Amino acid sequence: MTEQELIQGLRNGDEAAFKYLVDNYKDRIYNTALGVVQNAEDAEDVAQEVFIQVYRSIHSFKGEAKLSTWLYRIATTRALDLLRSRKSKKRFGLIQRLFGEGNEPVYEIPDFNHPGVALDQKENAAKLYKAINQLPDNQRIAFTLHKIEDLSYQEVSEVMKTSLPAIESLMHRAKQNLRKILEKTGP
Amino acid sequence: MSIQNNKKIEEILNSLDGVKRAAAPEFFYTRLKARMEKDLLPAPVRSRILRPAYAFAALVLVLVVNAAVILKNNSGDVVAASEGESIQSLAAEYNLNDVSSLYDLNEDK
Repeated sequence: MTEQELIQGLRNGDEAAFKYLVDNYKDRIYNTALGVVQNAEDAEDVAQEVFIQVYRSIHSFKGEAKLSTWLYRIATTRALDLLRSRKSKKRFGLIQRLFGEGNEPVYEIPDFNHPGVALDQKENAAKLYKAINQLPDNQRIAFTLHKIEDLSYQEVSEVMKTSLPAIESLMHRAKQNLRKILEKTGP
Repeated sequence: MSIQNNKKIEEILNSLDGVKRAAAPEFFYTRLKARMEKDLLPAPVRSRILRPAYAFAALVLVLVVNAAVILKNNSGDVVAASEGESIQSLAAEYNLNDVSSLYDLNEDK
């Protein structure tokens, strides 16, 4: 099935086309979401939301970008939304604790281990993920798409709707910041 | 910073090189379809009734019915009062209010 046929099928509400889309892209979307949110259940939630949004708004997809680019864009946006809501819940929890309410402990992200990391690299990868958590959103997304989803800088620039030099600079800053964070926390 | 530390940081930074793509969980499509059916179906009537717009409309309806009943009762009093007046004038016209005249009539018999 070509991309045009797939898009047409989705626009016609064809269930076979939708299943084809999910079967072909679920791993890429799930892996991207997992790289950003660092939690398997949340990543599945985000991946589901991505496909629901595609189903709902396929008529607004103009075809200016590739379908995969559009999917990655939705996935990263949704994943960042989830992180923001998680952060605001954490802040609210802290305020509640300050005023003596909400005695339950604030949810902290536990050490994350990506299932695709080699066994001998698990410990280092967990430290790197912890450092990635402290990066600004755009650096985090660029780093995740390039390192975890193995997208080229060109593909990352299309997903993030920016230029290739901007992505190169973003990746350079991301690596510098990660180095600083790791130096501060101790390797 | 020691060379040892630098080396360790480099190792950490490169730890994601060659990472394999994580696969979506099993039955992902089945769970997605179930969620879509739940999310995309029209909301049940019960939850629709509980929406603020419906609750407000119901409140307005109750208030309108109440106001209508009160107004109707008030105008009913006026009708009852005017009916009472007409009965009294009728009674006066036929001397029915004068109880003594009734006795007089009985005495005549």
